[in-house]
Order: sequence, then structure tokens, then C-alpha cells
Amino acid sequence: MITQATIFAGTNTDEPDVLRSLTQNIDRFGRERIDAKAIDREHRIPRELLREAAVLGLFGLSIPEEHGGAGFSLSGVCTAIAALARWDRSLATTVGLHLGLGTRPLVAFGSAALRERYLPDLAAGSKIAAFATTEPAAGSDLSAIRTTATATATATEMATETATATATNELAEANALIVRGDKIYVTNGGLASVVTITASTPSLGGARRGHSLLLLEREDKGVDVGPEESKLGLRGSSTVPLYFDDVRVPMSRVIGEPGKGMSHLEHVLAWGRTAMAAGCTGAARTALMSAVEYVTARVQFGKRLAELDVVKAQVAKMAALCFSMEALVSAVGLVADDPDRLLRRSISAKVFASESDWTVVDMALQLHGGSGFIEETPMPMLLRDARITRIFEGANDVLLVHAGTIEIAQPDTRPDFVEDASPRGALAQQANAFHRRVREKLEALKAAHGLRLLRRHLDIHALGRLVVLRDACDAAVARAIAEGSDSAHSLAQFFLDGAQVEAKMHLEPCPPLEGVRTIAGSVYAEVVG
Amino acid sequence: MEANQSHNLDEKILRVIAELSLVRLADIKPTDRLREDLGMDSVASMELLSALAEEFDLEVEMEEAMAITTVDGVMEMAKKRLLAA
Repeated sequence: MITQATIFAGTNTDEPDVLRSLTQNIDRFGRERIDAKAIDREHRIPRELLREAAVLGLFGLSIPEEHGGAGFSLSGVCTAIAALARWDRSLATTVGLHLGLGTRPLVAFGSAALRERYLPDLAAGSKIAAFATTEPAAGSDLSAIRTTATATATATEMATETATATATNELAEANALIVRGDKIYVTNGGLASVVTITASTPSLGGARRGHSLLLLEREDKGVDVGPEESKLGLRGSSTVPLYFDDVRVPMSRVIGEPGKGMSHLEHVLAWGRTAMAAGCTGAARTALMSAVEYVTARVQFGKRLAELDVVKAQVAKMAALCFSMEALVSAVGLVADDPDRLLRRSISAKVFASESDWTVVDMALQLHGGSGFIEETPMPMLLRDARITRIFEGANDVLLVHAGTIEIAQPDTRPDFVEDASPRGALAQQANAFHRRVREKLEALKAAHGLRLLRRHLDIHALGRLVVLRDACDAAVARAIAEGSDSAHSLAQFFLDGAQVEAKMHLEPCPPLEGVRTIAGSVYAEVVG
Repeated sequence: MEANQSHNLDEKILRVIAELSLVRLADIKPTDRLREDLGMDSVASMELLSALAEEFDLEVEMEEAMAITTVDGVMEMAKKRLLAA
């Protein structure tokens, strides 16, 4: 049993040997201590296992050293989450949520007083963090948030005058916000001692935009935790509704600038999306390894399945997807300090990793034959756990429209890869050509529709698909060039070939919008009259 | 354009801005900057102009729209297009 104290004390770098050590420790922890099937069966992670994860230092990875954490970058956090997700997705989700959405608001935007008060316990894992934004009427449309935090008159004046989150003087403590509303699908909600919520605060921040991030404690009077949801997957992670009935929250617990919650949220969600995408890479690797073990052992028609070309092609596709997912998630980590690129890349990574995870797990299950349908194998749980990733942290279709819209507003630019005479040069040439085709498609759409393009969601959705594929190709090529091995080259080339085929569907004109609307209208009329 | 027509148009435009920026209609001033004052990033600003183009059946070039940064600018663009129609 692992009992060593936090292994990263004293370092705030993501040096390769530190990350290697981290991964090895998580692997040992997973092998010796995690029973994923028991977690899935019992719909809970044992408290003792959470304590051991805390002792290992997992809950403090992203928290600054000065507050007792390891001070890891987004890249380091992703490495840890990917490693953990290889062993159990529920635990990876619990830790990932804590490191991303749970504590990132405090780390990035919290006042010094808030950070000093809450981060040490959160880093030690003696307290777990949650994040609550979804409501019954506000899913992807966060502007529909109904939870309100109403300030007293004095508090309003103070927030308007200071417009900062560091106002922690006596006046601030004497004044409070009254929070009312409901949140649903709160990951970690049943375990958390603290939760960051988004609330409508029209009276704060000069009446502009009017949403703020607030820190609530589980013990605050008026906070009620609902029952655990019964879920398709991630059964060991906690998902509950939270109810706020006139909860009095001191003004000092506003995180960041009052009234600017939505703009803070953009950064926080980018972190959360990326950590989630990292989990997808770990789970997909587990599925690939399980499939390879199966096909190399299983004999049919006098041959091992692994010897059949049809099986080899499927294993190659799964491996190429894993390679490219990992490359794209790593690429997000490299731009973590650039808000614009972080937003773009995190969207691409989330969409691509969640869809690839689903594809890889589904293919792995298929290769297991009938046994893949039996709960005794890891495949059903992997499939169930993967499904939510295309929905939470931003539904993929919404994110694709967002990716397309961002590209229209501000086309992405990057220096071309160097096209030398080496095999890597050929990969570079293909990636550069793909960039140009996406750009040409964008220009053609703008020329054809002008500003009305922004109302053509099918076109924007298709453009978003191209952006995601382009970013994944870039990442795969960059990884192949950096690694320099024949194996990396083959994986990137295999992925690029498949991506080009998929891109053709989106580069060709969409089905006419009116045709789509007519068909949908007929179906709706048939079903609901 | 008559004064009362112009006033009605201004109000209609302000309503669309209020809806998309989540800022109360009464709080929006003509001199407000879309990004800095109303919190609309480049994507939200373009969605606003796109909504106006659809609402008033305006033909607007993407580049021209992207150059508009204030509420005043939005109203001038809309009026110019409507007068030319």
C-alpha cells in the first residue's frame, strides 16, 4: 500500500522526470488499490481510496506551492488525469473536476484572502471542491441561469465603487449576497465541502452583464444537497442537485470581479474541458490495450485474430486516434497562458478526444466479440463511462458551432510546418495544405453569405468540424516531427489519411438548409402533431 | 428618414443589443463600446450584427461589420443601409 506523503512537495515544475515519477506512482496506486468494477457496482468511491489519493498528492497537483499544492501546469494536470483514467474513470473524474472546475476559479481569480483560507485544505484533499452552473432551464445556454445572488444596498455600492474581488474589508464582511436557486448535475456535489457557483448578480459590477462566481460552503445555512443521480456511466462519481434557499454569502466570497463571472467562466471551462479530454486519452488507451490483449490471444479459423488484416486495420485506427488525441491534449497545455488559443484548442481537444474515445472504446468492444458485451470484461464499463464525455463540459454540437463561429470572427493563424525533403516534410505538406483548404472554405462561405453566415448553423457546424480536424492533424504532425520515430510517423500519416476523407464531407457544400428544415418539420409534425 | 421613424429604429436596435448582451435596455448608452462596456467579445459582437442584418434584412460585409466597435456604430451602419435600400 502506498503511504508516502505528497511526492511533489518542493517542486513547481513539470519536468519530464517529475511527470514520469507521477505517472509511475499513479500506475502503482491504480494496480494495487483501485478496484474499478467495485466502484462501478457500488456506485461510490470508498472514502479510504479518496484519502489515499489525497496522501499521494493528487488533489493538490494544480494548486500553487505556497498553498500546499504541487503547482503543476495544465500539462502536468492532464498527464495525471490521463494516467488515473487508465485505471478508473470515476476517480479520474472526481480528481479532475477538483483540479479543474473545482479549484481553478479560486486559483486563477480568487482574492488572496480566499486563496489563503480555502486552498490549503483543498490541496491536501481534506476538502473536495465542486462546481455548479447547470440548472433545469440552463444547460448549454448559460444566459438562462436563474439562480440569483441579491446584494444589499450597501454591498451594491461597494461592488460598484471598487469593482474588484479583493475588497475584503470590514464593510465587505458585514454585507452579504442572498443566494436563491437550484443547480443540477453537480459533479462532486455529494463529496464537496466547497462549491463555486455561477449566479445572476445584476446589481453588482455596474449592472453590466450581471453574472458572478461565488464560493459557497456545504455548511452554509440554506444549502441543501439532493440525492445522488443514478447514471449510465461514471457511477462512482458523485452527481447531485444542490438547492440554495436564501443562503447568506459574504461579499468577500465573490470570486474574481463582481459581474464578470461569464468572462472568468471562459477560462475555467477551458481548463475543465482540457482535463476532461485528458481523461478520454487514458480511457481510450486502456480500451486499446485490452483489445490488443484479446486479439493476440483469441484464435479463430486456426489463426490468432491479431493476424487478420481486417483486425490489424482496426487496431491501427485505434492506435492512430489515441496518438492524435494525446497530441492534441498536449498541444492545449502549451498554450495555457494564451487565453485566445486556450479557448480554441480546448474546444477542439474536448470534441476530438470525447468522440475518439467513444470510437476507440466501441471498436475495442467489437473486437472482443460477444465477451465485450459481458460485464465481467472491462468493455461495458468503458463504453458507459465514455458516453457522457460528448455531453458534459459543453455538448459537442454546441462546441462545434462555437468553434466555427470563433473561426469566422478571427481565423486561426499559425506558421507553416517546414516542408523539407524528409518523410516528416511530407506530413508537414499535408497539414499545411489542409490549413489552406479550411481557410478557402471559410472565405467561400463569407463571400457567399456575408454576415448572414452567422445565422447558418449547419454551415458553421461543418466549419467547426473542419477546425477540430485541422487542429488534431496539426497536433499529430507536430508530435510525429518531435518524436522523430518511424512509428510516430506512421501513426500520424494513418490519422491524416482518415481525417482527409472525413474532411471532404464538410468541405463540400452542406445539404441545403431549407431541405433539412423541411424534413425536420415533417418529422416533428408526425410525432407531435 | 423621419425623426419618429429614426427613434423607433434606434429603440429596435437597442432591444436587440440588450437581448444579446444581457445588459438592461435602460443601461445601454449610444457611446458604449461593444467589448469593453457591454462585455461582448468579437464572436458576440458579430452575432449581434448578424441578428440585426436578419432583423432588418440588411446586406453587410463581414469586414465592415468587424470594424464596428460601438453602439453608435451599429446604429449608423443600420441606418445607412436602410436609407440606401
